[in-house]
Amino acid sequence: MLGFYYYLSTSFKYKISVETRNFGFFEPRHTNKDKVKVNPLMAVDLSSKKVLIIEDQAPMRDAIKQIVGSLGARFIVTEESGSNAIVAMRNHKFDIVLCDYNLLGEKTGQQVLEEARYLKLLPLSSIFIMATGEHRLELVLSAVDNKPDEYLIKPFSAKQLSSRIEKCQVRKDYLACVENEIDKGNLYQAIHQCEKLLRQDDKKMHMQLLKMQAELLVKVGDLNKAEQIYLDVKQQREFPWAKLGLGVVAFHRGDYVRAIKILDEVIEQHPMMLEAYDLLAKSYELIGDDEQALSSVNSAVELSPRSILRQKKLAVLADKTDNLFIAKKAYMATIKLGKNSIHKSPTDYSGLANIYLKTDFSDKALQVVRELNQQFHNDPEAMIRSALLEADIYQTKGHMELALQAQEKAFKLNKQFNKQLSRELRMEMVRECYLSGDTETSNEMLNDLVTANIDDKLFIKDLLTMCGDFVGDNHAEILVQKVKRDLVNINNKGVSLFQEGNIRKAIALFEKALTLMPDNHTIILNLVKTLIYEMKTSKPDQEKVMHAQSYINKAIQLGIPHNKVSVIQTELDAILSTIN
Amino acid sequence: MQPIDFSALLASSVHDLKNSLHALRELICQLESFFPEQKPDELKQLNFEANRMNNNLMQLLTLYKIGLSQCTPTIDENYAVDILEDIVDQHSTLLSLGNVELITECDSDLMCYCDSAMISNALCTIVNNAHRYCQSKVLISASQEQDYVVFSIEDDGAGYPESLMSSDGQQQLPQVDLGTGNTGLGLFFTRTIARLHANAGKQGFIETDNNSRLGGARFRLYLP
Repeated sequence: MLGFYYYLSTSFKYKISVETRNFGFFEPRHTNKDKVKVNPLMAVDLSSKKVLIIEDQAPMRDAIKQIVGSLGARFIVTEESGSNAIVAMRNHKFDIVLCDYNLLGEKTGQQVLEEARYLKLLPLSSIFIMATGEHRLELVLSAVDNKPDEYLIKPFSAKQLSSRIEKCQVRKDYLACVENEIDKGNLYQAIHQCEKLLRQDDKKMHMQLLKMQAELLVKVGDLNKAEQIYLDVKQQREFPWAKLGLGVVAFHRGDYVRAIKILDEVIEQHPMMLEAYDLLAKSYELIGDDEQALSSVNSAVELSPRSILRQKKLAVLADKTDNLFIAKKAYMATIKLGKNSIHKSPTDYSGLANIYLKTDFSDKALQVVRELNQQFHNDPEAMIRSALLEADIYQTKGHMELALQAQEKAFKLNKQFNKQLSRELRMEMVRECYLSGDTETSNEMLNDLVTANIDDKLFIKDLLTMCGDFVGDNHAEILVQKVKRDLVNINNKGVSLFQEGNIRKAIALFEKALTLMPDNHTIILNLVKTLIYEMKTSKPDQEKVMHAQSYINKAIQLGIPHNKVSVIQTELDAILSTIN
Repeated sequence: MQPIDFSALLASSVHDLKNSLHALRELICQLESFFPEQKPDELKQLNFEANRMNNNLMQLLTLYKIGLSQCTPTIDENYAVDILEDIVDQHSTLLSLGNVELITECDSDLMCYCDSAMISNALCTIVNNAHRYCQSKVLISASQEQDYVVFSIEDDGAGYPESLMSSDGQQQLPQVDLGTGNTGLGLFFTRTIARLHANAGKQGFIETDNNSRLGGARFRLYLP
């Protein structure tokens, strides 16, 4: 019955060889010769770590600082607000961040985490722990993609903190080889690393690795392999993520009906699985059932009202389906949540203002425009949106003079900043310019938009619908056909240069074309193939391989099908192995 | 008069109580900073009681959410030993009072499938109770029994009263025993959490008896 005190093992698997283990009692009266007493607080040594503590309550801050200090940390920075914490993270690369979830008044812990990850202020190896006064469940709900490495319920003891840090550390170290490749965008290499680790057959990490590997396979588009993993796992045990994975696979295959069926089952069994609602909404959208999509997003928002991206999605969908009351509510929520968030956007304000305009509340719309101006300084996108809104509002109110002034302002800004604007706003400007009679600018912008987005079927569809509404003839349709022909010509020219043995010229041609159409699938694939051929026939070096790899990573990002990308990736891997 | 929706009322009251409790705990924290060296036992006790209240309220809220089916476990693969470790960690303040010995026993590569946060929370409640009713020892252990992983909590106290002993057949709300202040809420909570864990047609359950190896109460949680 009597056991021994022990150090928290720093190695991954517990290597204690006895059958049973006894640990962790602090009873001074029962001293026993066999017990080796060690200080359990010394399990993790933070002496070489940089630690950031974010906590708005002074006594709690001091208490946590004391705990961190007792674990050996010497470099400790404390901040009371989210914005100060971001500044601190710009100045230092922290190994451990302990952040309170409920930071009063300002950014929440979740917003701090999102912003830090977005701005890449946290090194991959760093550990972000969210401290909270509430149960984990309530928080998980608000997180979309950005989950902290660990949650800790306040108040916590040094022992609890130390075990959490240690567990995180072990997991991070173990998965570092995969994460590093993901960070560089080398998804195929990341998959190889997963396979390598799986062969080591570490029971504890097995499921997590399979989950990671399957997600990566989905990302590179190897859906058959991903599906096989999900099916194997599911047979072993009903993990909700495996079932969700099967829904994801169906979705990416374009089998939305099947995806919807699976996702409905997932939600039935696991009503809190928010990712399922998100994907369900997307599936409905793609089969053109916006009302159902709206209802899925609505359920997800009810469960996680603090998720800004879901509120945003809800607002846009409700707007599109003329559910103005829901749209208004969701835009308002988005604006409120966006105040201290990186997801704050001028479109939230213009969306709300437009709803007010549609429902005959032009004064309220004007108020929203004023707020928009206050929230965004020197942001061309915001300035143009607010000018356009003002024009509409003044027109509704019958102030034609003011309306014209505002419109002029929008056009002027558009000329100045056009290239920096989002494509959605540029699309709107195409219409505004056309309607005001400036067909030349309108055509020029339309040409740019079509050229840059020719592969994005949904966007081109929206563009054509919009143009059809106001131009009436098939002007845009003709343009799309022309861009497609140009594209074929460029590719043919590149390919014939290639066949003539003029490799350098072919590469130059494709690279130039890519500056005009940065997201074009065919050009990227042809470019990579030419680069690989060039390396095969000349002397390849590390730099050239990396250059080609960056285009492959872009191809994956753009969702070019697996069967096309994997072939060139294999060839590039072969070249790399001849260098090493 | 409109009927009162007690569950919603209770849930909002609990939220309110939690806010007060939060303030209280901040105050305790401030008090603690007056004792940088040796903290008095009364303060540790105060901390413990505040935590206990907080845990109780969290249990209530979790039960409320389960009732609304807003709460489902996130099942993962876990080492049983990690869960036990977490329980020991959560009790380290209490244990530092030094009058109770907490012993754990577990095969180091025993795996179980559960929502580890939920399960360790639920077990903590039971350990808390055992700590209150034991004389000097609490034993927590985990082992495999056929298709189940079993977590046991045993103590050397007087054992469960007749009313709280059961194999898992009943789901009715516990009776409050005003004499001992024992509500059985902790057991009700763990039973509910256990039932949320299911696999291949089997459901989790709990058992309570007085067959402790230490001579007192024994609680067992079965996870499929």
